[in-house]
Amino acid sequence: MNTFLAALSLGTSRGAIFALVALGLVIVWRGAGIVNFAQMGQAMFSTYIASTLIANGYSYWVAFLAALLSGAALGALLDIFIMRPLSNKKQSELLSSESMRAAVPVIASLGILGALQALAGIIWAAEERGFPAPAKEEGFTVAGNVLPFTSFDVFVVSIVTLTLIVTTLFFTKTGIGLAMRATALNQEVAKLSGIRTNRTRTISWAISGAASSLAGLLITPTSNLSPNTLDLVLIVGFTAAVVGGLDSPVGAVLGGFILGMVISFVTFYDTPEDVFLAILAVLLAVLIIRPRGILGSKDARRV
Amino acid sequence: MLKIDNLVTRFGSVVAIDGISMQAQESKITTVIGANGAGKSTLLRTISGLEHPSSGSITWKGQSIVGMRPENIVRLGIAHVPEGHAVISELSVEENISMGSLFRRRKFKSDITPAIDEMYALFPRLKERRKQLAGTLSGGERQMLAISRALVSRPQLLLLDEPSLGLAPLVVEQIIDSVNTLCRSTGLSVLLVEQNANTALGVADHGVLLALGKVVADRPASELKADAKLRAAYLGY
Amino acid sequence: MRAVSNLKRKSIARTSLIRTLIFAALVLLVGAQFDAYNQAQLAVVLILFIGVLSITLLTGISGQLSLGQGALMAVGGYSTALLITNYTLSLWVAIPLSVISSAIAGLLLGVAAARLRGPYLAGTTLVIALAIPTIANRFMSVFKGDEGLQVDVGYPPQWFSSLFGEPTYEQWQLYVALPFAGVALFFASNILLSRTGRMWRSIRDNESAASLAGVNFSRQKIYVFVISSTFAGLSGALYGLRGLVGPSVYPVSLSLLLLTAAVLGGIRSITGAFIGTVIVVFLPDWIELILGNFGLSEQVSNFLPALISSLLLILTVVINPAGVAGARLHKHK
Repeated sequence: MNTFLAALSLGTSRGAIFALVALGLVIVWRGAGIVNFAQMGQAMFSTYIASTLIANGYSYWVAFLAALLSGAALGALLDIFIMRPLSNKKQSELLSSESMRAAVPVIASLGILGALQALAGIIWAAEERGFPAPAKEEGFTVAGNVLPFTSFDVFVVSIVTLTLIVTTLFFTKTGIGLAMRATALNQEVAKLSGIRTNRTRTISWAISGAASSLAGLLITPTSNLSPNTLDLVLIVGFTAAVVGGLDSPVGAVLGGFILGMVISFVTFYDTPEDVFLAILAVLLAVLIIRPRGILGSKDARRV
Repeated sequence: MLKIDNLVTRFGSVVAIDGISMQAQESKITTVIGANGAGKSTLLRTISGLEHPSSGSITWKGQSIVGMRPENIVRLGIAHVPEGHAVISELSVEENISMGSLFRRRKFKSDITPAIDEMYALFPRLKERRKQLAGTLSGGERQMLAISRALVSRPQLLLLDEPSLGLAPLVVEQIIDSVNTLCRSTGLSVLLVEQNANTALGVADHGVLLALGKVVADRPASELKADAKLRAAYLGY
Repeated sequence: MRAVSNLKRKSIARTSLIRTLIFAALVLLVGAQFDAYNQAQLAVVLILFIGVLSITLLTGISGQLSLGQGALMAVGGYSTALLITNYTLSLWVAIPLSVISSAIAGLLLGVAAARLRGPYLAGTTLVIALAIPTIANRFMSVFKGDEGLQVDVGYPPQWFSSLFGEPTYEQWQLYVALPFAGVALFFASNILLSRTGRMWRSIRDNESAASLAGVNFSRQKIYVFVISSTFAGLSGALYGLRGLVGPSVYPVSLSLLLLTAAVLGGIRSITGAFIGTVIVVFLPDWIELILGNFGLSEQVSNFLPALISSLLLILTVVINPAGVAGARLHKHK
């Protein structure tokens, strides 16, 4: 029973983080039609910035805020300087086919990932360093029993819930949110309505950058920080997004929690070494049984 | 008001518009008619900035708008309702309409709600279905919604592409009537593209007949309507 | 009709053969001028060139993006190593068998990939590439986990030494890689020039038109995957024969390196594939040559090649997506 509770609690707090990562991927996919493989590289970079600030005596919360802001700024810059020029190049011969139009931004995002990881290696050396948690990582004690739920878990779950609520409100209640949804759904009608679609795309990148930086801040206290640590998180987030449906933000969150549970239960009931194979199995199963994901729309698989 | 001179638009090696010169007059309905593939839709898409012409000029109130982005052309007062009931089916009726007024919400803050209410007054059926997703509407309602989305930006010129496409005659009549009334009462200029020449020439002041990307006739609508020879040659009836 | 196409086929084969022979002659000529280190590097170029060709065919010609070519290379590498260590086969037998086994892996992957498009395929293949270390550790008794299996190209046979003199170990690496690279070049050139190549391009350029023209789209996609996997498997087999077959030899970064090479050189051309491979293999040496005197710290010089090749990749994609060999490509069209 205790193992079950422990698995459930780890699954919830990890699931919350994976939900954020998947949400970040879905926001850029909907907003710009790109699966951004550099996303967790961006998160790694801003987490390093936070780590440096903390090492220089700033408080956790200053570093926290700085990481979110730099994550958003980095996302916006990547869109403005790399992805936007790329999408304006559609006339060129190499990008004349739909399949290449889908492939080339992915290649660009891999280049970004490589550059960010190398740059982080140069600036911060490649050795792993720890990253602090803002709350205790020991389980609560009730009547002498140590529960498998820590105050850090509570912190993670509540801050992710808060983020999800704020994001939902932003998308459904604000003008920019409406503009972003319109751009994601139908660029031509959005443009004809006077929406500056270039700008909404950049905002998608910024929000996704901030969300994944938050995920980076929340996951690194339990792992470690190095240029490559977040690669696995990206894979889990991608799988979560595919499970939920790449074009569905709600699906992304659902997929995140599903992956969190799968990983946690495999860790507790089988062995941590099998986690990766479990992810692969889930991914392949979804792609074979329901390629558009649980909540994805039918034509979601735009090339 | 809108003046087009020697406009050419190509898709690769295909010339869709081949040297068109014409005008849309202020507070009048100008209709562009012609068979399928005559270049009517491309003409509207080039005006609204969705396609870029390879040569020629488009002047709006004395200013050239060639090369401008669609989102900026709307801001100058030209609203385009593209072919095929262009609404976003995953958004609600309300969201589709307010989408068209998003860019005005800073400068004309006090006019947003009145503009939206006017649309509901023009098409009361949309008001009833305010909270429904646009995808659940009938074809006619969707066309009304698409027109509302364009009109809510308070344009001076409305580019309307084949509003009758796939709709029942009664619905077409209702939509055309609304647009006609609006034009006569508010001084809105309309550039109406239609394959259904009879309907279009019935309400329009002026008619332009296109064939294979070229202007074949440019006359008052009543004259065009009366010219049996032209109709037989280019429209097939 | 048949006679004409036979003639055409012959002339295509002749063109490819001539290209291959010129290529081999140039490699031998240049290789003879190199010192031992650069000869080994040249051998790596030849080996990875085969892997890059697998991307030229898959992505450049048929428009499918796979980030898992490293995984297929690993299939080739592990097969060769197991055949050599467990069954003491000669590498000349082991390598062709490994190519078959990677073709089978490619068939499985292709059947899955035929259902997937764009980012789904890219992501899935990336996950597969990342799974290699896990699989190597999961089946420890076979794959020997992180330690891997030790294999090498061995020594030249007696007749070779008596005919051409005793080669150094580096020269022998080069001589082993060259015939395989030549065969790969010959086949790639043949495919690109032939009807098959045209059909694959039609898949890339327009799926619906291709299927209208009667191309069985799914079957062709799978076929491309199988062919591409034989190239990747061959490359991986030779890559492992440099000394070790293990997870550290086939990391995800290897898949990305191949992709970088293909894009830098020009993703649609064989010449481009070779130029790109030369760039990525020699880049670290060139950087050291240029910056060696500036006394950069180890931290910087370790990551500089990766940084520069990533930046080159981004710049290529944004500024000149056709790559170095792109100009030539435009003229042909």
